[in-house]
Amino acid sequence: MKSIVLSGVVASLLFFSGCSDKSPAVDEMAQVPTQEVKAVETETVSSENSVVNATSEDIAVSDSSSSESVGNNTDSQLSMSDIESTLTTVYFDFDKFNIKPEMQSNISTDAKIVTSSASAYNIKLEGNCDEWGSDEYNFALGLKRADSVKKSLTAEGVDASRIVMVSYGESNPACHDKTQECWSKNRRVDFSLLP
Amino acid sequence: MKFFLSLLLLISMSYATDSTIEVIKKVEALPSLSIEDSSVDYNDTFKLEFFKTLVADMNVISIFNVDRHYRLVKYEDTNVIVENKDVNYVLRYKMSEGDGSSLNISIKLFKAGEEVLAKNYKVNRQDIFMFVSHTIAYDINEFMGESSVEWMKRKVIFSRIVAPKKSEIVISDYTLSYQHAIIKGGFNVFPKWANKEQNSFYYTTLDTEKPTLKFVDIKTAQIQSVISSDGMIVCSDVSENADKLLLTMAIDGQPDIYIYDVNTKQYVRETKYKGIDVGAHFKDKDSIVFISDRLGSPNVFFKKIGKEEVDQMVYYGLNNSACSAHGQYIVYKARESSNVFSKNTFNLHLISTETDFIRRLTATGVNEFPKFSDDGDAILFIKNYKAQSSIGIIRLNHNKNYLFPLKYGKLQAMDW
Repeated sequence: MKSIVLSGVVASLLFFSGCSDKSPAVDEMAQVPTQEVKAVETETVSSENSVVNATSEDIAVSDSSSSESVGNNTDSQLSMSDIESTLTTVYFDFDKFNIKPEMQSNISTDAKIVTSSASAYNIKLEGNCDEWGSDEYNFALGLKRADSVKKSLTAEGVDASRIVMVSYGESNPACHDKTQECWSKNRRVDFSLLP
Repeated sequence: MKFFLSLLLLISMSYATDSTIEVIKKVEALPSLSIEDSSVDYNDTFKLEFFKTLVADMNVISIFNVDRHYRLVKYEDTNVIVENKDVNYVLRYKMSEGDGSSLNISIKLFKAGEEVLAKNYKVNRQDIFMFVSHTIAYDINEFMGESSVEWMKRKVIFSRIVAPKKSEIVISDYTLSYQHAIIKGGFNVFPKWANKEQNSFYYTTLDTEKPTLKFVDIKTAQIQSVISSDGMIVCSDVSENADKLLLTMAIDGQPDIYIYDVNTKQYVRETKYKGIDVGAHFKDKDSIVFISDRLGSPNVFFKKIGKEEVDQMVYYGLNNSACSAHGQYIVYKARESSNVFSKNTFNLHLISTETDFIRRLTATGVNEFPKFSDDGDAILFIKNYKAQSSIGIIRLNHNKNYLFPLKYGKLQAMDW
């Protein structure tokens, strides 16, 4: 699991509630009360690469991540990344999640790799969108794109149980320029392999 | 004649509280307000920073015409300075450093030269001065007898994309002046306050094999996994008493809306359309509004919880992909231009379920994530314009928008 720093804002900003009495009143000068306002405490409750006070589930996630990072140095992981680099990205039109005819050959090529050299791995389909909207709809659009690729792969004989999907919405751009060409590169589904 | 006058009065009263009616020109001018600094301690940079924050807050309460000139004056002086003699209200403040570097602030409000309000504030750290400023503005607004700006005191939680697949979840004040990154590292998005008290929140982590909804108790600093889903999972809304969540999940790769019971940990699927159903918000305890592309492009729909029937709510806009509801009002994001990538792409609009009026609330850039304040007085939203991310506040009844830019990164989602 990625390092998580969870910092508590204990009683953070809560001093608002203690700041003032609600009733609008003209204070007598001689009796102006001093309102004690609680500070924002920013204690750090966990440090990089660890999760303090996490639940057992969180710890389990953390453990599996650390075994992943160990695995990165093995030959099999290098081989996995080599195979991954041969898988081709599938691109989509604006606000669409149907597979374009010209992308069908990419998917056929990918399906052959997935059922041959990558047959030992599971496949993660990562749906992405351009920058036009960061809301839930954009995430759902990315997911529908991944789902379209999944359906096409299974139609080409890939076992659906080997495929997991995730949407990153607009948060994982491949291109950062403000051009239509660049945006078209961000409306895509990437492949990654899982051990 | 009496009849017509009564009719006119009735009509004006019936529209007076309708937020979809835009106030083009107010007959009465706002009273003027000047701010005087009497601080002795602290350097000029900090003094000016506090002054600017206070000017911004006094502007946001939208009941004064605020003078931006910085003027120094002795706190004990019984008269306002000569430049402010003709000003309706003068707010004088004095900052002083107390024990343990605490910040003490005293204020006096003068009306036509007469002192009408005095208060003292204290915080134990100088760097959280902006909260004192917000509280001063809140207190003066209360003193003036205006509708409450309780939302000023609420905390904002937002996610900020700092690099591809890297984000931070940050707690801030409504102006983004104070920022505390509560979750750093990894890819965590869509934070949502878990209750009105704002002492816990939900967020989606994309670092796990399946997207997972997490719950964080801020006081105990404990993180719990709530539920996972293939593809995506987002907590779109939390019910009034915090026991029900509206989730967008895609358990079978199909994004649909679910209601999750926090106590029983059971969920019920609310929508079953084969396209996209997302972004649900409670309209009241028995009904929801949500976004669906069931008519070909995203739009706002309404349904009773547990019922099949779905009603289209919005008939204006080409790509209405986000909404928020408060009572009879719905604010939604719409693309107006037929050119997909034109500059004026997404604006916020306000409709009432009881009238046919539509009020456009923004004019430039990509405006999204509209969220009503609890009392419906204001709408908080995200604006992305010319590579700048900002949080915006719309004061509906004052017809004013205020923007507070983010220093770095891009806002992904937020809640308040």
